[in-house]
Amino acid sequence: MNTLTIWWDGAADGPTNMAADECLAAEAERRGSLVLRFYGWSDTTISLGGFQKIGDARQVEAIRGVPLVRRPSGGGAIVHGSDLTYAAAVPKSHPWGASPQVFYDALHGAMVEVLAELGIRAWPHPAGGSTPVSSPKRAPAVTVDRPLHDEAQFFCFDRRASGDLVMAGPAEGTSSKIMGSAQRRLASVVLQHGSLLLRRNTTVGNPACHPAVADLVVGLEVPDEAVLSLAWGRRIARGLGAMLREEDGPFLRGMESEVAAQASRFREEWWTARR
Amino acid sequence: MAADLKFAKTHEWVRPESGGVVTVGISSYAVEALTDLVFMQLPAVGRKVKAGESFGEIESVKAVSDLYAPISGEIVEVNSALPGKLETLGKDPYGEGWVARIKPDNPAEMDGLLDRTSYDALVGSQPH
Repeated sequence: MNTLTIWWDGAADGPTNMAADECLAAEAERRGSLVLRFYGWSDTTISLGGFQKIGDARQVEAIRGVPLVRRPSGGGAIVHGSDLTYAAAVPKSHPWGASPQVFYDALHGAMVEVLAELGIRAWPHPAGGSTPVSSPKRAPAVTVDRPLHDEAQFFCFDRRASGDLVMAGPAEGTSSKIMGSAQRRLASVVLQHGSLLLRRNTTVGNPACHPAVADLVVGLEVPDEAVLSLAWGRRIARGLGAMLREEDGPFLRGMESEVAAQASRFREEWWTARR
Repeated sequence: MAADLKFAKTHEWVRPESGGVVTVGISSYAVEALTDLVFMQLPAVGRKVKAGESFGEIESVKAVSDLYAPISGEIVEVNSALPGKLETLGKDPYGEGWVARIKPDNPAEMDGLLDRTSYDALVGSQPH
């Protein structure tokens, strides 16, 4: 039977988290099945998409002085620290590994169902959709599937791609993006990173601070990360027809030296400032 | 698609040219699977690569994919116009959409690549 294995890791710095995720990709390849890791951040950290320019990051006053790490995956910059961060990896030979959209849609669709059970209505941004975003100051009123890579779309949560999860925005007729994911497609395995904005991150100012689920629901308590991630894992496993296997300890346990060696790359300037 | 192409399992194609070099590109299957390409990084001319080694990157909407050298050798030329007009990869992946030219260390490595029939069978068996 298919198996979905899940690990819960504590908080770590950006380079350690990125290195652990690369090791997670190797683990998916070794096991030949989907694996999923949830983790925290020891400090508020900006993760930069694999192709984003370091010069763009350094021009954003609101994130000056905040630790920055470059992801191996694509997409826009994310402010971590008040979000639910995950990494999932699946072999390309797996039904969810063949094309980028299938994996996005499978994981995001499961989250829509979990949120619905909690009374929170979210939906995937449609292909070619153009719902006005919640803050006209934050991004252009017309959203597009293709990232513009201009200043207005430096942050992941200012971009819209098909399958991103959105909720009704504070103003009538608007929507706010609450979940986005991005992939690194390696020779035989796919690593997908993603973030669900649970609470507004008040350690950064605009334009880095985005409305979160807690800002957009009225009269509902946003569940903690552990409850949400377990419910999500169960939904994903159900969608896959897989057995859910929760590991007792963190993914990092027993892999400290391997992860530390891998993390050195993510600490180095040549990697962080490579574009 | 020309019959003289060979393919790597990682979806790069190779075509022998006169003068002992090979042209390398990305298969139409891979280009279609990625959709909406936005950025590309080419290898540096003069770089030595090993077969199976990542020698470039391409970003589609929110996915970064590695390009793998299908054969060992030296990069002798790159299609430097390609990153500026990525739509060429979709329109003409086996012609104007070529990525790089490699001078192989060992041309016999070509024998280990897939012919068109085998490659078509491989992509036909990929999950959808």
